[in-house]
Amino acid sequence: MSHQSFHERRKAERMRDAEFRGEYERARGEIEQIDSVVRSLDELRETNGTSKAALARRIGRNPSSIRRLFTAQSNPELRLVVQIANDLDADVVIVPRRGHRERQGRDAGHARVPAA
Amino acid sequence: MAWQVEYYEHGDGSVPAAEFLDGCPRKIDAQFNAVLDAVAAAPPPKFSGGGKWEAMHGSMGGYYEIRLTGPGREQFRLFCLLENAAPAELKRRGLASPSIVVINGMRKPHRTTFTDRDYRKQVRALGEQHLANMPRRLAR
Repeated sequence: MSHQSFHERRKAERMRDAEFRGEYERARGEIEQIDSVVRSLDELRETNGTSKAALARRIGRNPSSIRRLFTAQSNPELRLVVQIANDLDADVVIVPRRGHRERQGRDAGHARVPAA
Repeated sequence: MAWQVEYYEHGDGSVPAAEFLDGCPRKIDAQFNAVLDAVAAAPPPKFSGGGKWEAMHGSMGGYYEIRLTGPGREQFRLFCLLENAAPAELKRRGLASPSIVVINGMRKPHRTTFTDRDYRKQVRALGEQHLANMPRRLAR
């Protein structure tokens, strides 16, 4: 027997409203993209065998700012994300979606955020 | 392992966080739900919540907040506690799994601050009541 929590019941009820559902799905997509960027950086850091403290030293940041970033205890700052990517020899890349979401008048192709 | 999202229930049967969400603009309610579900799906210490989920400090240490901006830059906050322990202890607390417990929410105009009295009355008093309940009293 599956037990639906208060949270799930309340949400399911609100999902019947198109405005709520649309915003929920948009927000989940946005959150997933941000989370995926930060988690990818953390995985790359681990793969490279770089400790958070060493990473902080190399990019001239306080170790606590790196620890907070990777444990969702602060809002990720784009400049810090780019600094870390640069240190780990990676780029932060924006990939335009193809197909029906492509908008007229927008540039096609890849926009690369330079790891300054 | 995904966590559960639970809502603190007051002694009089009211659910402060649900009442707060019911009074929010629909899109803000939807965004709060999206952050809660994202954090529950990838719980701490993983990075989760798209930067909208943050640990609080000082007198609010131990609490987490979801920070959203609404129409007219109005600020919306939802305050939560995390419940994680060994299975036997979770069972004693009446929890089936580690949980995010939503305590209450508050809203304020842009460029204003909550006072410590606000936090104490609207959040910590309820959070302390929640932690004193054994098993926990949760909305069903």
